Amino acid sequence: MTPIPPDNEPPPFLGTWRRVYAAVLIYLACVIVAFYIFTRIFA
Amino acid sequence: MRTLDWVVLVGSLIAIVSYGLYKSRGAATVNNYLLADKTMPWWAMALSIMATQVSAVTFISTTGQSYVDGMRFVQFYFGLPVAMVILSATAVPIFHRAGVYTSYEYLEKRFDSKTRALASVIFLIERGVGVGIALYAPAIVLAVIFGWPDQVTTFIMGALVIFYTVLGGIQAVTWTDVQQMLIIFFGMLVAVVMVIVLLPGDVSLMDALFVAGKASKLTAVDLKFDLNNRYNVWSGLIGGAFLALAYFGCDQSQVQRYLTGKSITQSKLSLLFNAVAKVPMQFFILFVGAMVFVFFIFERPPLLFEAPAMRKLETVSAYPAVQSRFERAFQSRRDAAGSLIAAHRASDPQKEVTSIADFRAAQKDLDSVRREAGAMVDKDFDDTNYIFLSYVTKYLPAGIVGLVIAVIFAAAMSTISGEINSLATVTVIDIYKRHLHHGGSDRHYLMASRLATAFWGLYAVVFAQFGRNLGSLIEAINRLGSLFYGSLLGVFTLAFFFPRVGGTGAFIGMIAGEAAIFAAFLFTGMSFLWYNVIGCVVVVCTGLLFPRMEK
Repeated sequence: MTPIPPDNEPPPFLGTWRRVYAAVLIYLACVIVAFYIFTRIFA
Repeated sequence: MRTLDWVVLVGSLIAIVSYGLYKSRGAATVNNYLLADKTMPWWAMALSIMATQVSAVTFISTTGQSYVDGMRFVQFYFGLPVAMVILSATAVPIFHRAGVYTSYEYLEKRFDSKTRALASVIFLIERGVGVGIALYAPAIVLAVIFGWPDQVTTFIMGALVIFYTVLGGIQAVTWTDVQQMLIIFFGMLVAVVMVIVLLPGDVSLMDALFVAGKASKLTAVDLKFDLNNRYNVWSGLIGGAFLALAYFGCDQSQVQRYLTGKSITQSKLSLLFNAVAKVPMQFFILFVGAMVFVFFIFERPPLLFEAPAMRKLETVSAYPAVQSRFERAFQSRRDAAGSLIAAHRASDPQKEVTSIADFRAAQKDLDSVRREAGAMVDKDFDDTNYIFLSYVTKYLPAGIVGLVIAVIFAAAMSTISGEINSLATVTVIDIYKRHLHHGGSDRHYLMASRLATAFWGLYAVVFAQFGRNLGSLIEAINRLGSLFYGSLLGVFTLAFFFPRVGGTGAFIGMIAGEAAIFAAFLFTGMSFLWYNVIGCVVVVCTGLLFPRMEK
């Protein structure tokens, strides 16, 4: 059995993990919108 | 390959292998060999996870995929950030707290030994085949450069990777992955810049984008929902999320990376880094493929990109006629592209419409001639994986060719070493130690891990011999994964979220899930991305039917 690492800690930015997850999902939405605009411009 | 290219390539390989061997000195225990004593910082794990995914296939095949099919493949990755968030919130803390070597070890803690064994075997089958394909891809590089048969090159590459991985262990694998990923980032940047710089002088970047767009190579997002359309935003977000959940949550080659973390936070950050970086990275790799397509509109490509096949074609009596048709079609396409650009610059929509029609007709002719020529060589001929390499070796300047080839090798080595390491871990921890040889010494299991690593390396070499007939390798790997990942994901979903389901339900659920996936594969034309959804749902629903059978 391997040693169990320290328990969960707050993330190094944005205060809570919930906010970090939300930021990642918002980022994904922005990327998809950007790619969609890219597609529309050149299609 | 010129002298400078050889210096860059051989220098990079020696540096990477030497570093791996240097790091392997400390691997004196099983825990160190397989989990690096849980000492890894998040950025090293993040780059290692990324390096393991970014195989030689990514460069060789993704660019070729974009050349042939456009950039719609990027949608396949849209579900990945969603999966990373879900896994960070669920699997990472659970696995860490369980204190396990493998994700399947956790299944025994949660269910029973038969469920763990079945999941382990499914992983070994799936990843064992996948590592063979991953080994075949860099062999293509050597085949193009030296003209050697794939069989010889897979043996050479396999021997090199086995040597370095057996001596390494997870710590060496991770740290070399970091180096390899840095080389990969740099090489990608150079590839993007070079493909733009090498466009003809009278074709600007905007012209290239315009022509690529009209050739449907820049369609990155398709909003239309269609189960049979392999890549659209919905299959990417839903099917891709399920595939990424299974890959990062249930596949030991990934789980083992973040199990080496110093803490849960470090492991979460490594996954979230991938969530942010992976989609743009794939976009740029696909973009290179689209630009290579534009490059070959103005610079005549070979009739077939695979040099040995081309040499074979030249001996066929019908070759001169086919080559002549190909050249006429190429010329027509180049003329149509030229007039399309001119019409666009002159803002002449009428002429644009005519030019687009001419361009597409010429493209159709070109594709048809290439298909015909390919069939003369082999009825299943597919040279998608040779397109980018053909471009690199013929057109990039000295030193850059060596760098790009080094990138492909670095990517291959990181993927193969990581996968062999994880296959060995599951073989030793979940099968050998659990079912065949209890109570051995740490030294015994360390030796068993090294032997298992060598075994899986040899297995990969043998399986790589079948890579030739799999078409686009990047699709082949993902299609293959999708045949198994759904049921693995389903059983972990049961483990995490359905406490009332026990071992029998999970075991029967997995069998039912596999049956459903293979039924979908054999009897429907649906996109492989949906197999993960189907498998997972069937496992969960079946598992829920058996809650009372458990004590």
